[in-house]
Amino acid sequence: MTGTIDTLLQNLDTLLLYVLAAGALVGAVLMLVLRQPMRVATALIATMVCLGGIYGLLGVHLIAVFQVLIYVGAVMVFMVYAIMLLDARDPSVRSRFSGLLVPGIVAFALFLGALVYGLWQSVPAAASGPHGAGLTLKAFAAAFLSEYWLHFELTSVLLVAAVVAALAVIKVHRTDHGG
Amino acid sequence: MADKVPLLLSLAVAIFALGLLGVVVRRNVLVMLMCMELMLNGVNLSLVTFAHQTGTAVGAVLVFLIFVVAAAEIAIAIPIVLLLVRSKRTLDLDAYTDLKG
Amino acid sequence: MNHLLTLIVLLPLAGFLLNGLAGPRLGKRFVTAVGCGLPILAFLATVQCVLTLNAAGDPLVERVYTWARIGESTFDVAFYFDRLTAVMTLIVTGVGSLIHVYSVGYMKEDKGYARYFAYLNLFLFFMLLLVLGRSLLVLFVGWEGVGLASYLLIGFWFEDAEKARAGKKAFIVNRIGDAGFLVGMFVLYSTLGTLDMDRINAAFMASPMPAVSASLVGILLFIGATGKSAQIPLYVWLPDAMAGPTPVSALIHAATMVTAGVYMIARLSGIYVHAPEASQVIAVVGVLTAFFAATIAIAQTDIKRVLAYSTISQLGFMFVALGVGAYGVAIFHLYTHAFFKACLFLGSGSVIHALSGEQDIRKMGGLARKIPVTFVTFAVATAAIAGLPPLAGYFSKDEILWFAFASERGGSPLLWGLAAGTALLTAFYMFRLLWLTFFGRSRMTPEVEHHIHESPFSMTSVLVVLAVFSAIGGFFSIPHFLEPLLPMPEAKHELHHLETPLVVVSVVLALLGLAAAAFFFGRDAERANRLRPRFAGLQKLLYDKYYIDELYDRLITRPLYWISDRVFLRIGDRALLDGTLNGLAGLAQRTAGALGRVQTGNLHLYALFVLLGSLACLLLVWRHV
Repeated sequence: MTGTIDTLLQNLDTLLLYVLAAGALVGAVLMLVLRQPMRVATALIATMVCLGGIYGLLGVHLIAVFQVLIYVGAVMVFMVYAIMLLDARDPSVRSRFSGLLVPGIVAFALFLGALVYGLWQSVPAAASGPHGAGLTLKAFAAAFLSEYWLHFELTSVLLVAAVVAALAVIKVHRTDHGG
Repeated sequence: MADKVPLLLSLAVAIFALGLLGVVVRRNVLVMLMCMELMLNGVNLSLVTFAHQTGTAVGAVLVFLIFVVAAAEIAIAIPIVLLLVRSKRTLDLDAYTDLKG
Repeated sequence: MNHLLTLIVLLPLAGFLLNGLAGPRLGKRFVTAVGCGLPILAFLATVQCVLTLNAAGDPLVERVYTWARIGESTFDVAFYFDRLTAVMTLIVTGVGSLIHVYSVGYMKEDKGYARYFAYLNLFLFFMLLLVLGRSLLVLFVGWEGVGLASYLLIGFWFEDAEKARAGKKAFIVNRIGDAGFLVGMFVLYSTLGTLDMDRINAAFMASPMPAVSASLVGILLFIGATGKSAQIPLYVWLPDAMAGPTPVSALIHAATMVTAGVYMIARLSGIYVHAPEASQVIAVVGVLTAFFAATIAIAQTDIKRVLAYSTISQLGFMFVALGVGAYGVAIFHLYTHAFFKACLFLGSGSVIHALSGEQDIRKMGGLARKIPVTFVTFAVATAAIAGLPPLAGYFSKDEILWFAFASERGGSPLLWGLAAGTALLTAFYMFRLLWLTFFGRSRMTPEVEHHIHESPFSMTSVLVVLAVFSAIGGFFSIPHFLEPLLPMPEAKHELHHLETPLVVVSVVLALLGLAAAAFFFGRDAERANRLRPRFAGLQKLLYDKYYIDELYDRLITRPLYWISDRVFLRIGDRALLDGTLNGLAGLAQRTAGALGRVQTGNLHLYALFVLLGSLACLLLVWRHV
């Protein structure tokens, strides 16, 4: 009985994986094709959510949560604000593609082909660690604050820099308008 | 899930390549920014796959760092774009050729 | 006593430095004292050296310092004093000092007084280096140096473009001759390994060198001599050199510098004794030059030009003597020529000074009574150059004519014939000069006539001294004095009996010249003037010096200018060099421009490049796959 539930669950996992992967891919392709920026943003959000799902399936629940929280919740929201602020009747909306469409697609095809080909040629050996076990918050936190503490501190520096830059931009904006 | 690694990596590669294509092909500045986010996402997926594969925390830590960087980046990129658009009055990237020559 | 020779050389150098650097500030008296005093001291030192030489018997040698040591050969600066050097040095310092004294009066009004004496002393320094040097190298330094001094002094009044150009011409023409001289030196050095002239002579006398080598060297060195001593084809600078102050013409272009070539060949007689072909060339060139210059002289109207061509002609005589092996006789003529030619030049300077600058003899006349001292000295010198006995010129010229006829080493009747003809012409044109300048009615403008005055004592005293030597100088037989050093050539046996008749012939020729001149140019040249229209063409040819200068201009100067301009300037410099550099710069610019077109400013293109670049890297890394 447990065996069949396990197999069923495993099959379910695999199915879910396929669905989410398809969803992410479709979202990505749609991003390239849709005309209105708002719709493009929506496609991107869809892709991100699918990806978050995939992360969850892979067992790194923490990252999945962060994906939705930070990427979708902060970054994409900011993006949507910006889209809403700017004019929709822009000429770029009428003609979506730049002059380099054909060369771009050709190069893209080559690039993708090379990467996938190389990938399948050198498929990595079976994993070493315990798979399926996932990454616990405890392990993550321990790693972050012990082995990768420097990176942690550097990110805080980066964020301070970002804040300062944002203030500078505001100032420029203010002096532009004599404010 | 271990046998799905090649598939996931291919997906990551595809998403990354699509993002890069989008940067080349789309005209709208904001859409280009979003395509760059897409590229970052592709990389994230590959990192998570590796994390799952090896079981160590390295991949997850790197992904977290990418989150931070992406957030900071977008926090500055959007205001820059806003200012640029204010001076050029268009979102069409083909109009921004001041660095020519 | 050991360093007396060095002292002789250095005294004028000190004069140059003192007058050149401090002269203008220290006033005329100082400049005169230094400028004249030091050469006189040098003359006294020379006399002392001659006495020492007489007592010692062997030549005096003074090694000053080692100039260079290259590998195994050393090049020394050394001075050598034998009888030949003694004669030359006495002439240079003696006549030189006299001319310095003369210059005091002549250049009194000139604002370049200090500069003049500085240059004159510089010239003396180099000339002494030339005659006292033991090695051909030291001689060559002196040789070039006198050329430099000559250039500086000819173009002394350099604000006048013509005079400056004359200076340049002298220097450049000299340089052409020096090329031959240098090659000659190279050949000598490569075959003998030394440039010391006494050693060279000894080497040639000891073992007979292959004839081709001696003649080659002989001719090469002679080319240098044609430049310095104004023979065909490089004489063209001497008439133009009259642009300089008259004492300069007397010192440099009559008595000393132009005789350097004669001295050099006499000094290296060891080579020429063994080089019959070269000696023949010298004799022929000498006699042709002598005759040629004499024909030009009879048609000249500038008093200094007549004397210039006369100098060229007399130098030709000296080379005839050298060419037939009578080296001592050539030096003898050099010695007598120094006296009478210097006297003539300084006399002409006195005339010019008296006439406030007039140099055209057609505008003179009747000066005999007005400037008597000048007249008498000029007349004595003229008689000397014409060869009237018993004046100095008679002795030296006569010896030359005899050896030209009868020397075992190249004498021939043809040579004698041309030389005798030249002697006749010499007498003719010199007396013509005398008559037109001093006799007859005055053809001067009234204001010039009003200002005529005899020259100051500083000038007339020198004229008197030189005239006296022109008269009695011939009694001291230089050839005998130099016999131990420069043996006289054998005269052809069968011609011995013709010696006295030939003497008579020369005297007759001289008197004939005098008579002809008196006939044609006496009484205000009325007979010459009557005959002039008939000989107009010939006269023009001679007056315009056979158009040789114009010929050189057409053949040499203009083609050189053309080559310089067309080939070297336009093609070589502008097209090739500038073109290459500009071309390279232009290439860089165009490449940068072409490459710059990559930066279109279009971000999409840049992104595409990123894509393509990463693709390329990928392919490169995975090429084994």
